[in-house]
Amino acid sequence: MRTARRLRGSALAALAAGLVGALGVPVAYADDVGVMELEIRPSTVAPGSEVTVRTTACGETGTAAGDASAVGAGTFALARGPGGTGGPDAKIATGRFRVPPSAQPETYQIVASCEGGPQVTGDLRVALAGEEGPALTGEERVHPHGHVNTGVGGAFGRDRDPVQTAAGVAALAVAAAGGTWLLHRRARGDGI
Amino acid sequence: MRRFGNSVGTLNTAIAGVTVVALCSGAWLLRDAGGTHAPPQPSAAQSVRGSSDRAPAPHAAAALPPSPPDRIRIPSIRVDAPLTGLGLTARGSLDVPPPEQRNLAGWYEAGTTPGERGTAIVAGHVDNADGPAVFYALGALKRGSTIEVERRDGSTAVFTVDAVEVYDARNFPDELVYGTAAGPELRVITCGGGYSEKTGYQGNVVVFAHLTGSHA
Repeated sequence: MRTARRLRGSALAALAAGLVGALGVPVAYADDVGVMELEIRPSTVAPGSEVTVRTTACGETGTAAGDASAVGAGTFALARGPGGTGGPDAKIATGRFRVPPSAQPETYQIVASCEGGPQVTGDLRVALAGEEGPALTGEERVHPHGHVNTGVGGAFGRDRDPVQTAAGVAALAVAAAGGTWLLHRRARGDGI
Repeated sequence: MRRFGNSVGTLNTAIAGVTVVALCSGAWLLRDAGGTHAPPQPSAAQSVRGSSDRAPAPHAAAALPPSPPDRIRIPSIRVDAPLTGLGLTARGSLDVPPPEQRNLAGWYEAGTTPGERGTAIVAGHVDNADGPAVFYALGALKRGSTIEVERRDGSTAVFTVDAVEVYDARNFPDELVYGTAAGPELRVITCGGGYSEKTGYQGNVVVFAHLTGSHA
């Protein structure tokens, strides 16, 4: 079934590429989502989790029909990102679906068919927590690994505010002047 | 003579007053004008290894049934934030909540729910492009502090902090941080360690805690 899907997908892709070549319409290639690829995040999930898929294969139309029926999640829609016409997300079509809690641990093929365009696929791996219950068979869980990217340095980012700095310096100058005056007065014996 | 003396005295008082005000406001203006505001980092005393005079750890409570969390509260560092579900990135590391939302943390949805037996994992940003974020003060947390996690079933799991560590990104101890614990435990993670503009944050602050109670 999966092989048949792959072959059909490749054939459609070849046909679409041929048509595009004939018409001379430029195909949109994005820098971060791979050409003619369906990006699936996360690529390994536990049953019941939400999955986000992205692709740039749909070019300017940016809409596609997603098919996650292999894993039991039915169909879903992909639409253009919030980047608008000019933003970097403009050519990326994004869709979401939830893996059913009853999904079996296996690798499933997720398909996205662009409106009037090519079809792209990606693999989703479902990993099970364990039959006896999540607590007792932790070894079968999919654990994260590595450093977590939770900061960009914005806490350090502010440049010194020039207006505020100037005001501060001026205030200190006034304080210095006042202090000097008072010392002068004291030296003259004004009983300060 | 007396009248002259009084008006001079008044003038001196006024000048003294202005001087003090100018001094205080000048100092405040310069201090607040900007520059680095590094997030607090844990001292060695908060580390497991750094504790020589440890009081016995508070008694662990029995595990709660599984229930996804909705909110996290850490009263001692004034954290009170909603929790969103997190997955894994394509590289297999823990994904992060959207950074634009300053007061939002996340929990590893494919893992243990906080309160259940095992290791529940919570992560949040130390800062975003605009400045400090939800876990900015996490490095200031002390051993013995409490962390509360409100769950969807209406109960609140209460954890007590065992240790606050900093780990370098290049040598991250996966098993220690993410490995499944025997009892109900919690890890709270944010960025930390050194920071440079070229490399970003060089590590993570990881808080280790275990379940010590619950309430409705």
